[in-house]
Amino acid sequence: MARKSTLLPEVAVVESIRQETPNIKTFRVVSPGGGKPFEHIPGQCAMLSTPPVGEAIFSITSSPTEKEHLDFSIVQTGTVTNYLHEIEEGFEIGIRGPLGNGFPVEEVKGKDLLFIGGGIGLAPLRSFINYCFDNREDYGKIDILYGARTPDDMIQKKDLFELWPQQPNTDVYLTVDKECEGWDGKVALAPHYCEELAFTPENKVTVTCGPPIMIKFVLEALDRMGFTPDQVITTLELRMKCGVGKCGRCNIGEKYVCIDGPVFTYAQLLEMPPEY
Amino acid sequence: MKKVQKEKLEDLFERLAGDGVLYLPLEEDGVVNFAPWKKGARVNLEALNTVLPPKRAIFPQTETYMRFETDGKKLQIEQVEPVEGNYFLFGVRPCDMAGIKVLDKVFLDEPEDDIYSRRRQAGTILSLGCNDPHVSCFCSAFDLEPGFAPDADVALWDVGEVLLWKPLSEKGEKLTSSVEDLLEDASAEEERAAEEQRNSAAATVAAAAREHGWNVEGVEEALQDMFEAELWDKLYRRCLGCGICTYICPTCHCFDVEDFGKWQEGERFRCWDSCMFEEFTLHASGENPRPTQKERVRQRFMHKLCYYPSNFEGLYACVGCGRCVRQCPVSIDITQVIKEVGGVKSGS
Amino acid sequence: MKNLQDTIREIAAQSLARGEVELVIGWEKGDLWWQSYPAFIEEEKEADRLIWDPLCVPNLSRYLLQELSEMDEKKIALFVKGCDALAFNQLLQDNRTVRERVVLYGIPCDGLVDPSKLEREGLDRDLQEVERDGEELVLKAAAGEEKRVPAKDYLYDKCLTCRYPNPVAYDQMLGETVPVEPEERFTGVRKLEELDYEDRFSYWAEQFSRCIRCFACRNVCPACSCIKCVFDLQEPRWLGKATEPSENAFYHIIRAYHVAGRCVDCGECSRVCPVDIPLQELNRKIILDINELYGEYDAGVDPEQEAPLITYKTDDPAAFTES
Repeated sequence: MARKSTLLPEVAVVESIRQETPNIKTFRVVSPGGGKPFEHIPGQCAMLSTPPVGEAIFSITSSPTEKEHLDFSIVQTGTVTNYLHEIEEGFEIGIRGPLGNGFPVEEVKGKDLLFIGGGIGLAPLRSFINYCFDNREDYGKIDILYGARTPDDMIQKKDLFELWPQQPNTDVYLTVDKECEGWDGKVALAPHYCEELAFTPENKVTVTCGPPIMIKFVLEALDRMGFTPDQVITTLELRMKCGVGKCGRCNIGEKYVCIDGPVFTYAQLLEMPPEY
Repeated sequence: MKKVQKEKLEDLFERLAGDGVLYLPLEEDGVVNFAPWKKGARVNLEALNTVLPPKRAIFPQTETYMRFETDGKKLQIEQVEPVEGNYFLFGVRPCDMAGIKVLDKVFLDEPEDDIYSRRRQAGTILSLGCNDPHVSCFCSAFDLEPGFAPDADVALWDVGEVLLWKPLSEKGEKLTSSVEDLLEDASAEEERAAEEQRNSAAATVAAAAREHGWNVEGVEEALQDMFEAELWDKLYRRCLGCGICTYICPTCHCFDVEDFGKWQEGERFRCWDSCMFEEFTLHASGENPRPTQKERVRQRFMHKLCYYPSNFEGLYACVGCGRCVRQCPVSIDITQVIKEVGGVKSGS
Repeated sequence: MKNLQDTIREIAAQSLARGEVELVIGWEKGDLWWQSYPAFIEEEKEADRLIWDPLCVPNLSRYLLQELSEMDEKKIALFVKGCDALAFNQLLQDNRTVRERVVLYGIPCDGLVDPSKLEREGLDRDLQEVERDGEELVLKAAAGEEKRVPAKDYLYDKCLTCRYPNPVAYDQMLGETVPVEPEERFTGVRKLEELDYEDRFSYWAEQFSRCIRCFACRNVCPACSCIKCVFDLQEPRWLGKATEPSENAFYHIIRAYHVAGRCVDCGECSRVCPVDIPLQELNRKIILDINELYGEYDAGVDPEQEAPLITYKTDDPAAFTES
């Protein structure tokens, strides 16, 4: 019997599904016999397969410290995500991973961390954030800035409103883009709020993830605030098919987002052709 | 060195075909392509380049690798093994052999692509030296020799009535002994004739390279600073956005993955894809990091002449077979790019 | 021939210098003898790049799709052979170009050289340049040698059957009109029609089996001017990406039906096909059927003429429902 192809998914079970926002659900995935399909590093991804409509890549939103399952927060946008949004708990799907490099969780030990997320961009950050909280003594001050269009568009509300604010040496800042009823918190775009909060770059690493337009302005804001490009980490999202550096689709310059990324420092991005 | 009489080729083909699939250049409706040999097939060993490179035998345009079945909430996934086992690629030109080496780097590099690697291992490659290169051949630009493919399992040379036969690898030795009764020892004269042909073919291509300025030295380095160069603004404008150049290329390897089937059962396959197509990088959101043909044309040349060599110790992902030069409906010509980039470099 | 090339350069330079147009699309020469390809000239001093030789086959009209949309109200000058002019008219009729923004310079065309016909007879050896001189081709080799061969033997098949070598649309005609002496264009179709159903099916199945789905036939076609082609849609994905007999046949047959009544018979589809699928014959079969059902019609000749497949008449034959 030949060995298993790198393109061949394993069967996994969608154990539970949670509606996060009108178009985002979080899927908890386990092996058919129970337990995690595979181990991962925060920031890594997996291909989820929904035959007969194909497979697509998603970042893993649960921390590796969660021992029993993998979580994925997924926006409904294309064929695979439509399928996922229609299924019920107990459905089997295919899974392949872990894919990609992941966040440099070891390298940033001892540093203060500033997480800036927008919308669904919290998904990969959450894996890292929860990993830090489960290894709290390894990391310094943690600031989390999260923005969404409206309060209804915020994902992982329990983390945002209850669990994270209780963590030691941690501040959570939430903002929405526009005034709306029932929200008495901050109203500002994430990049503006970031500048207003006047974070200082000393001994700090920023990890940001969100819509391209937000990233663009966050990077500009951080630059004004004195953060150097190697202090800023982000993730790229590109169309991917194989996830293992062969199919050529996520090629940017000499890099392949699926194996050299999706996590890049801003310093690395500046070295790459702007094709993302 | 051994030789096989051309009149015995039919026997040789029959023998090889009995031991696996024998792919060789067959002519059908005037089109010469590598295809499985059958008795009575029209073999064409004269054609310099088949329309499609022999990579098809190792990396087929469409290849099913998985089958699935669903039953309610249940899903079953099963790997599909390639149907054919052993095969022979007979008459592979040295440029195409070099193209296979370019693919090897991609697919056999970690994590190894086992679909490719199993096919690759199952094949024995018999290469045929070129005696009479075409005006669009520029293999010598990449330090390749038109008359000899060192990476093949067996090297063949056409010297009139006979094909000279020289095993180059263990697989080649094994094959040679299994067909020993069809082979004879080559004469010193025949060996000399092959040598002369080799030299003259190499001289022809080298002279053309000199004449046309096909010098790739420094092209990789020069291109690293040419992402925004004016060259791309000029070049893309006539591009039709078709996929000919990528599909007929012996080194292009980009692929797509798709499912085919009904809800209850079906299969998953991979198939060649092309960076020339708008769809290649189009996101589900409608965003496209390569929004116009300019970025796509640039990607093709940058990947072959800059990104790939950066990743694989300076090896270019072009072997100078000339297929794209001949087949592009609007004559977008990689040798012109090489020339222009080289020119930019020496001029700077 | 040289005179026409000089005229082309002169006219291009003039219209750019006078500001009549901001872009001239013609042909220029590559390094190798057969390479005569589209040139985009925006400055007067670049006009000398333009050439005219018997290898200027690429149809320039299609570039209006990309160039006009990118250039706002600017005007473009275009050199058109007979087939290019038909293509232009078809784009006009399909509302995909704007007459007022295009200046057409007509080139009467006595047929273009099919490089593969020269290669087949080894006439491409050391070839540097091909010129047309009356009924002959002058093949000029590297060492200044010249060989003369009968032109007719080396022209594209599509040129031998060309019925509109003199442009039907132009603002200014360059050069003398050429005589119109087409060979019968439906010979191939008639031959295929003689086959019985099964043989015809297997003939086309075999042809389509070679298709590598590069989409060159579509991308070169002046009737394929949709902003978003149905075959490129990802959702729903009508055309699967597997190169598989039924998908290939689906692609070619649907495309043939979509260009039905709009195909100008320029034959570019057959020319660009890397695996030599005789696509022009497929389109000609439909042209022949239209002619027989609705009366003679030549797409691209008169953009004002009613197109049979998009004009309903009460006395239209209803052959499909009658059988």
